[in-house]
Amino acid sequence: MLNPLRSEAEAFRFLIYVVVTVALIVGAVLLGRAIF
Amino acid sequence: MEAAGAAAAGHAEEHHGPPEAHRSSRVEPQLLGMLLFIISEVMIFGAFFTAYFFIRVVNGDPWPAPGTQLPVAVAGVNTAILLSSSLTMHWALSSVKNGNRFGLKAGILSTFLLGATFLFVQINEYANIGFAPHDSAQGSIFYGLTGLHGAHVFIGLTLLAMVTVRSFRGHFSPEQHRGVEVPGIYWHFVDVMWIIVYSTVYVL
Repeated sequence: MLNPLRSEAEAFRFLIYVVVTVALIVGAVLLGRAIF
Repeated sequence: MEAAGAAAAGHAEEHHGPPEAHRSSRVEPQLLGMLLFIISEVMIFGAFFTAYFFIRVVNGDPWPAPGTQLPVAVAGVNTAILLSSSLTMHWALSSVKNGNRFGLKAGILSTFLLGATFLFVQINEYANIGFAPHDSAQGSIFYGLTGLHGAHVFIGLTLLAMVTVRSFRGHFSPEQHRGVEVPGIYWHFVDVMWIIVYSTVYVL
């Protein structure tokens, strides 16, 4: 299991996951606002 | 007697400094310390985000305050700068693990300079944004959240400055690089927090 506190490499991977997840959420919210 | 003396001498050679601290946790001390620190940080940021969501969701106040505008594009470029600094941090640590000293020095120095650029742009943004923390609740929360993050960047830069100096003095090796690893974890945490701050405060 990914533990961002265990090593820098895992923290970096966690950062990438956060960036992708937040980008998807923001994209969905902006799209929703534009449609509704 | 002679064997006992030799064993004692051997033990004295192995252990340096004060006796090891008593450990009540099975978790490695460094990891436990970092874990407790990050938990306390999440609580601090959580308190600020609670105020933010109270204003926007519970009160339904406009964001940002009427008559004010947030520099989304400039902050977006600043976000890219901060994310780049995480990339160079990762490069620095990968380099030291592979015995590449040039990569370590270049990576750490680049990380420090990119982080300093981020902070400089942030301060410049404060100087030109056109509203103060006491002008509105929205202003207070904007400065509170971004300022709290800026303080973390400043702490990170202090750590990076130390790592940079040590790197140029020849410290760290493929076997001994905890001094780069722990600030690296902290730096990525600061980036994670900024992604959340930027997307909620500036974009949404």
